[in-house]
Amino acid sequence: MSVLRTSNVTKRFPGTVALKDVSISFQSGKVNALVGKNGSGKSTLMKVINGAYNDFEGSLYIDDQEFRYQHPKQAFEAGIATVYQEMSLIPGLSVAENILLGRYRKNGPFIDWKATYQDAQDVLDDMGITLPVKEMVAHLSVWQCQVIEIAKAMSANPKVLILDEPTSALAQSETEMLFALIRRLVKKDVIVIYISHRLQELWEIADTCSVLRDGKYVGTIEMEGAKHADLLSLMFGDLQLKERPADVVALDEVVLEVKDFNREPKFMDINFKLYKGEVLGIAGMLGAGRTELLRAIFGADKPDSGAIFIDGEVVTNPSPVLMKNKGIAFVPEDRKQQGLVQILSIKSNLNHSSLDLISNGMFVDAKKETDFCRRQIKDLDINVPGEEFPMTSLSGGNQQKVVVGKWLNIDPKIVIFDEPSRGIDVNAKQQIFQIIWDLSRHGLSSIVVSSELEELLEICNRIIIMKDGRFVDEVNPDDLSVNELYALSMGGN
Amino acid sequence: MEKVQLRDRADRISQISKRYMMEIILIIIVVVLIVTAPGFFTLGNILNIFRNVAITGVISFAMTMVIIGGEIDLSVGSSIALSAVITSTVTGKLAATGRMSMDSAVWIAMLIALLVGACIGLFNGFIRTKYNIPSFIATLAMLNVLYGVAAIISKGFPVTTLPNWYNWIGAGRFFNLIPVPALWLAIAFIFVYIIMNKTTLGREIYAVGGNPEAARLSGINVKFVKIIILMIVQIFAAFSGIILSAQVMSGSSTFGRGYEMEVIAAVIIGGTSLSGGIGKAWGTLIGIIFMGVINNGMTLFGVGDFEKYVVRGLLILGAVMLNTIQLQSLQKVKQ
Repeated sequence: MSVLRTSNVTKRFPGTVALKDVSISFQSGKVNALVGKNGSGKSTLMKVINGAYNDFEGSLYIDDQEFRYQHPKQAFEAGIATVYQEMSLIPGLSVAENILLGRYRKNGPFIDWKATYQDAQDVLDDMGITLPVKEMVAHLSVWQCQVIEIAKAMSANPKVLILDEPTSALAQSETEMLFALIRRLVKKDVIVIYISHRLQELWEIADTCSVLRDGKYVGTIEMEGAKHADLLSLMFGDLQLKERPADVVALDEVVLEVKDFNREPKFMDINFKLYKGEVLGIAGMLGAGRTELLRAIFGADKPDSGAIFIDGEVVTNPSPVLMKNKGIAFVPEDRKQQGLVQILSIKSNLNHSSLDLISNGMFVDAKKETDFCRRQIKDLDINVPGEEFPMTSLSGGNQQKVVVGKWLNIDPKIVIFDEPSRGIDVNAKQQIFQIIWDLSRHGLSSIVVSSELEELLEICNRIIIMKDGRFVDEVNPDDLSVNELYALSMGGN
Repeated sequence: MEKVQLRDRADRISQISKRYMMEIILIIIVVVLIVTAPGFFTLGNILNIFRNVAITGVISFAMTMVIIGGEIDLSVGSSIALSAVITSTVTGKLAATGRMSMDSAVWIAMLIALLVGACIGLFNGFIRTKYNIPSFIATLAMLNVLYGVAAIISKGFPVTTLPNWYNWIGAGRFFNLIPVPALWLAIAFIFVYIIMNKTTLGREIYAVGGNPEAARLSGINVKFVKIIILMIVQIFAAFSGIILSAQVMSGSSTFGRGYEMEVIAAVIIGGTSLSGGIGKAWGTLIGIIFMGVINNGMTLFGVGDFEKYVVRGLLILGAVMLNTIQLQSLQKVKQ
């Protein structure tokens, strides 16, 4: 049995301390889960261990022998392998080439393919996996790619295997297969560190669970016999929620109704109504189908079946253009790739949805264009160096406000927010919440999706809980605590 | 205090020189040619340059819209040939029926050539948006198809059934001085300038080229924008074919070979980014003049045709490198 131990590890970034005096140990023969909210320091700790960061304070030990690697390649060769969330496979190469990338068997200057394929086959056999080693990776499923990633890591006979959100792209049945594989690896005296956002998984796969909160290590629990509440109280501590303003209330009038919405396997049997002035939250873990549902409502993706009614009228053939004209706005999850045109100016970005309103249908009225831009900069308090600067000159929070401002320029009736607070600082977050409440005061309705469930409790009038693509419950945010909401979203005990 | 001002001024000068690098290089080349090349700086020669660049230049302006929109059209060279062949052939056939004179038949023939251009653009756009095939591939295939069609229609021979007045479109001069093709060039510039700067379509083209997914999720009809720009460039290419056939008073399937590269080179020299979202009609005007001046200078110096290819190719490479560096440094400053 071997043990990986961090001793008083502190990692500073300019302006913040990401890890404070962290001392944790991880044992082989077990699946050691590492959890914490976004920004709690999980990834930083992993990068300290696998050599991506080498300028930290404190020390690292494997079986009481100190180590500190200068970069991930060195750590990998020394037996610390990391499987990242993003796939790093080369689609045009074969399974064997990907597993042994850059470490092929040579025969003089030529690659000895027979030996290389055999090596890859040995790695897979050792893991108890059947995969055709000569197959091109582009022809394989996501789950098989994830297995190859792990095989790549295992091919170096690692002492430590770090798995960063390995199930985030997998379906339920594939997750089961992955767990079976991990359990087999654990028997090989490998120290497995498992990072996950999907808390409900931990009871299935993890033996122990160590928790980070705000860069500090707060404790480790044995998963056997542990309750959701135990883990949640470690993760969140005693969280004080801010009060939602009393004048943010929903009226009786239904503005949007979604009926029998289906898009297998992302979401099934979705039925709900949105009321005027309401802030409706959709809670759920990653992969519950929230983003897919929002995109389908906005017309960005086609559902298999179902209907949308706006103000009681059915919408036929929804598309983003049509939904915009019906007064629906969509603030997407990925601001950089989906919300903004980064190379264009703040002014043009703020007008991308309102081109019809600043023109006579053909020619743009330059004065209106400037007015529309200035109105949002002023109303939303967007901090800009100048209207003509590119989006890249703004901070995350201000970029998010530009996305919101772009939509407020069309005077929408409904605004759909997908992870509105992702990657922005606390102040900007509060300002975004204020904007959502202001919209409600003016009779606009919002749908908000967030992985930070405590945010939903803070901002929403009503929360629907989504799990594995279905709506499973509906709650009043005033009636329950953060821990209860997490427990409901995870399901189970 | 003064030092700070001086540094500010130096910064501003370096900023401006970066921003207007192509203009400055063009001016330097022109000055060198004025001093060294006999007969360069005469009104007649300058006007000649504009006449010579008009055929590819007209398309370059439309191509600017296409490239800013994140697409490309490699088939424009053969569209020139097809349009020239259609115009001359249709004129001949209509006149042969005896119902109308060649003088009026050519109007109908030109209209048909432009309509065919629009249809080719529509088809390219349809292939691009419906089947998500990169326009680079789709239009490369069209390049061959259209040459073949032009050759089939003309049976491989130049068609010369064109009325005399038609020559004016490609070779006429206003006041016996200003070449008519220069007017077409000016109109194309103004048209594209207005679209890109004054209209919603222009705003949409920039957005679609800069980030198609963000544009789509902003409620912009991305497919429509792509189809429109691919249609406009084909209509312009058809018009170029008309100018060329009017200049030489015939239509032939050998017209326009390799012109797509001249067209695209002028756009890229003018600072338009091949990855989309960045570019200006003004820059393309500079690029067109740049190409024209270089060609003209070489002719004046008696550089042979084979050597011209080498020089032109290297100059394009150099200009593109400069532009890439310039775009990168501008983006760094902005960040």
